[in-house]
Amino acid sequence: MIIYLRSGGKLKDRLKPDVDQYTRRIEVEGDKPLRDILNEVGVPDSLVAFAFINGKLERLEYRPVDGDVITLQPPVSGG
Amino acid sequence: MPLSTDQSERYSRQTELQGWGALGQERLLGSRVFVAGAGGLGCPAAVYLTVAGVGEIVVCDGDVIERSNLNRQFLYTRDDLTKPKAPIAAAQLRRLNPDVKVTPVIAEIDRSSAQELIEGADLVLDCLDNPETRIALNRAAIARGIPMVYAAVAEYTGYLSFLNPPATPCLECFVDGTRPAVDPPVPGCTAGILGTLEAMEALKFLTGTGETLAGKLLIMEGAVPEFDVIEMEKDPGCPACRGL
Repeated sequence: MIIYLRSGGKLKDRLKPDVDQYTRRIEVEGDKPLRDILNEVGVPDSLVAFAFINGKLERLEYRPVDGDVITLQPPVSGG
Repeated sequence: MPLSTDQSERYSRQTELQGWGALGQERLLGSRVFVAGAGGLGCPAAVYLTVAGVGEIVVCDGDVIERSNLNRQFLYTRDDLTKPKAPIAAAQLRRLNPDVKVTPVIAEIDRSSAQELIEGADLVLDCLDNPETRIALNRAAIARGIPMVYAAVAEYTGYLSFLNPPATPCLECFVDGTRPAVDPPVPGCTAGILGTLEAMEALKFLTGTGETLAGKLLIMEGAVPEFDVIEMEKDPGCPACRGL
C-alpha cells in the first residue's frame, strides 16, 4: 500500500520529502504500526509526538491504510 | 457587582460582543485565574487577561529574569535582570489595569506544591516550559477539578488545547511527560501568538462566549505556515484521568 507522510516543521529534514516540499510517498509492505514505518524510513519515533490523519489525532500505534496522508508533529514543550 | 461608569466605558469594546455584555464582564471581574509560568507564554497571556478585567490573576514562577528571556518575555527589561519574574510581572500588570488584583507567587510548581498553589482558581493556564512540571500541574488540576488551558511552543510550532476531564482528554492523554526537558529555540512571536490564544480560551470560558478548544488540539506550524484543529480522544489507559 501507499501512504504519504507529511511535515512542515522540524521533522521535514528527516522526512526527506519527494512529492512536494513537505510530503514523502512511502510504499508499505504488510500491516504494521506507524512507529515501525517511521523507524524504517529514518524518522526516529522519539522525534515524533503524535500524528494526525483526516483531522484526527492518532498515536504511533496506529496502523495506516492505503492512501493515508499522515502529518507528523514533533514533541514541543517550551514556554 | 454592577459595572461602574468607568468600567462600562473601559470594557465597552468587548462587552459589545454577542453573549458577553455587562453580565459576562461582571463574571470576569469575579474570576480568579492561576497563570503557571511568567515566561514567553505567560507574559502575553497575563497581559490580555489583565486588560480584559479578570478579577484576580495569580502569577506563579520560581525563576529569575535572564538576558536570554528578553526576546519574548516583554514584561521585563534589562534593568530587571536577576530579579524574580513573578513580582516584576505583577507590578507591570497592575499598571495596565487597577481593577485587577495581581498576586505574585515565587514558587516552583511540582507534585508536592501544585494542588495548594492552584486552590481557589476558576481556571489554570499552563504557561510552563517542561514536561515534568506540566504533568504535575495536570495532576493537580484534575484533583481540584479545575479546567486548564494548555499551550507549548518550540521554533515556529505551537500547540493549544482546553482540558477539562472527564469531559475532555487531559494532558497526559496526548503528551508524554517522560520526555526530557529541552530549551528549544523560539522567536518571541511564536510564544506571543500561543500565549495570546491561551488568554482567548480563558476569556471564552470565563464569560461563556464562543467555543473553547475542548476535545480539540490546535496546531500552529508557523514555518509553513498552517493552522490545524484536530479532534482528540481520551486515552482509556491514561495514568492521570482514567476512571474519572
